[in-house]
Amino acid sequence: MQRITIDPITRLEGHGKIEIFLNDDGSVANTYFQIPELRGFERFCVGRPIEEMAVITGRICGVCPEAHHMAAAKAADAVYHVEIPRPAKLLRELLYSAFYVTDHTTHFYALGGPDFVMGPDAPVAERNILGVIHKVGLEIAGKVLQARKAGHTVIEMIGGRKVHPCTSIPGGLSKGITKEQRDEIEKMGRWAIEFAQFSLKLFGDIVLGNKAYVDLILGDIYTHRTYSIGTVDENNKVNFYDGKVSVVDPEGKRLGKYAASEYTDWIAEHVEPWTYLKFPYLKKVGWKGFVDGKDSGVYFATPLSRLNSADGMATPLAQAEYEKFYKTLGGKPVHQRLTIHWARLIELLYAAERWVELVTDPEITSDNFRTIPTEKPMEGVGIVEAPRGTLTHHYWTDERGIVTKANLIVGTTNNYAPITMSIKKAADSFIKKGVVVSEGILNRVEMAFRAYDPCFGCATHSLPGQMPLQVTIRDARGEVVQVLRQFCD
Amino acid sequence: MLLCSPAVGFGDVKVLVLGLGNPLLGDDGVGWRVAEQVKERVADPDIEIDFHSGGGLSLMERLIGYNCAIIIDALNTGRKPQGNVDCFRLEDLPNTAQSHLASAHETTLRTAIQVGRTMGADLPNDIIIVAIEAQNVYDFSEQLSPAVASAVPQAVELVIGQLVNRSTS
Repeated sequence: MQRITIDPITRLEGHGKIEIFLNDDGSVANTYFQIPELRGFERFCVGRPIEEMAVITGRICGVCPEAHHMAAAKAADAVYHVEIPRPAKLLRELLYSAFYVTDHTTHFYALGGPDFVMGPDAPVAERNILGVIHKVGLEIAGKVLQARKAGHTVIEMIGGRKVHPCTSIPGGLSKGITKEQRDEIEKMGRWAIEFAQFSLKLFGDIVLGNKAYVDLILGDIYTHRTYSIGTVDENNKVNFYDGKVSVVDPEGKRLGKYAASEYTDWIAEHVEPWTYLKFPYLKKVGWKGFVDGKDSGVYFATPLSRLNSADGMATPLAQAEYEKFYKTLGGKPVHQRLTIHWARLIELLYAAERWVELVTDPEITSDNFRTIPTEKPMEGVGIVEAPRGTLTHHYWTDERGIVTKANLIVGTTNNYAPITMSIKKAADSFIKKGVVVSEGILNRVEMAFRAYDPCFGCATHSLPGQMPLQVTIRDARGEVVQVLRQFCD
Repeated sequence: MLLCSPAVGFGDVKVLVLGLGNPLLGDDGVGWRVAEQVKERVADPDIEIDFHSGGGLSLMERLIGYNCAIIIDALNTGRKPQGNVDCFRLEDLPNTAQSHLASAHETTLRTAIQVGRTMGADLPNDIIIVAIEAQNVYDFSEQLSPAVASAVPQAVELVIGQLVNRSTS
C-alpha cells in the first residue's frame, strides 16, 4: 500500500475530514479522521495568574464551560495546596449537577438522541430535535427548554453567570447562596428528577420497545472492547465532581484507581504525524495501535465507560436503572457504543437526584465557603468528569502563582483513538472491493462518532444530520477512488 | 438596504444587538469588538446591546422577547476576502455557514428558532446577520488579524445604519 502523507496544516474549514485507504483487494486498510484543533491554548495561559484559569478556560468550549471552570478551580486549589471547606464542595458539586442535567438533556434530545429516537435510517431532514418533537409531542420541547432554564438558573445563582461561571477561586467560592435561592433550587431539582424519569421511560418505550433499534444498538458495527475510565467516589460509585479515576479492563476487572496528582503515571499521549491531536492511552498497558483488547492501551471516557468503571450509582433511582441497564445488556462491562445514549440518561437521573441531595444538605447555605490559601503555589492537577469524558487540567506556576506551563486533556481527546476505530468499523461495513455499497455510509459514520458526543471546540460547526463531512477513498496506490461529501461546497 | 421591518411605532418595540463569538479565539471575537463599539455610540432604551458565545438553542433562548435581532459574527466561508462584511436575513444564510449559527453541540439557529416558535416562544420576526469573513478562528489570541480589524468600523456603521433606518421608518 502506498504511503500518503496527509498534511495536517491543511485547514479543514470547519468540517470533519476523513481519509480512507484501501488494500489491494479493495477492503479498508486504514481510516484517518482529522479534526481542526484549537491551537495555542497552553501558550495563551502562560504569564497569567492561576486564578484566572477558572474563568478563561470556560471559553475553550461554549457548551461545557462549567466543566473547565471546575477542573481549573480544583487545579488552582491544588497549586495552592488548599483544602476547600465542605460548604464550598457542596456548592460546586450542586452547580455541577445542575449543569449535567442541562447538558445531558440537550445532548439526548437535540444531538445524539435524534439518531436514536428517529432511527438511523430516518431521513436526514427528520433526524433532529424537530423530528423528535414531531414524534413524541410538543410537550417535549417545552420540557427540554425548561430543564435548560432550571439548570442555568442554578448555575447563575452559584456561579455568578448563566453559562460561564466565575465564582470559584483558590480555596473555595466568592459567594454562597441565600435561603430563598436554596428553596428555589430544591423545587427545580425535584422537577428535574421527574423529567429524568420521564426521559428514561420515553427511551424505553420508543427505543427499547423497537427490535430494529435494539439490534442496531447491540450490533457489532459500533462495538469496541476497550478499557473504560471514569471518576468514582470512595465507595466506587460514579461521581462527576470529585474522587479518583477508576480504570477497568475490557472484561470488567479494575486495573486500579488514580488521584489527580497521579495521572501522569497512568495516561501517556501517542503522537501520529497526520494530526495535531494526540492520542492518550494507558501507560501501564502500552500503545499497541488502533486496536481493541486487554493488551491495547486504548481506552474510552464517556457516560458508558463511567458506568463500566464504577460499582454502581450513588443515588437510589439511578442505581435501579443502572442494574436494569446491565441486566438488559447481558452483564458488565458493556461495549456497544450506541448504548452511551442510554447510559447518558441514567447519569441524567443521578445528576437530578444528586442535585436534590446536595441542596437539602444543611450546610449548603453556610457562609463558610472559602479558606484563604497560605501555602506557596507551585504545581497542581484538577480532574472532573466532563459530560463527554474525564477532563484533566494541569498547571505549573512560579512562586507568585503565575502560570508557567499548562497541559489539558479534554473530554473528547480521551476518545480520539476509539472514535477513529469506530469510524473505520463503519467504513468497513460499507465498502466492499473498493466500492461504496451504500450512500448510507455518511450517516452511519456520523452516528459512530456522535455517540461519543465529541467536542471539537468551537472549531467544528456542525449539527446532527447536517455535519459538513468529506470522505476521500483511496486505492492501494493512494489514488483517489471516490470522494463523498455532504453539506460542503 | 433595510432588512429590519420598520418600527411600528409602539413604545415596547425592542431590538437586540448581539456580538457573537469567542473573544479568546482571535478573529472569532470580531462580533464582540463590533458590538462594543456600537454600544459606545448607541444609547436608546429600546435597543439592547449584548455579547454571547453560544449557538443553537442557547442563542435562540437569548432572542426571546425581542422584535428584531441583529447578530454580528465571524463567518468562515473561504470564498470571500478576509474582512469582507455582508448583511442578510437569517433565512438567507447559506446552509453550510461556518459560524456560531451552526455549532458542534447544538441545532442550527434556524432549527432552534423553529423549535422555539413551535412552542409559542416570543421570538423576533427579523433576525439580521452581520457577517465578517474571517479565517483565523482556531488560534488562541485576544487580537484580531489586520484585515478583520480593519473591517470593524464598516461593520459598526452597517449595524448603526440598520438601527437608524428602523427607528425613522
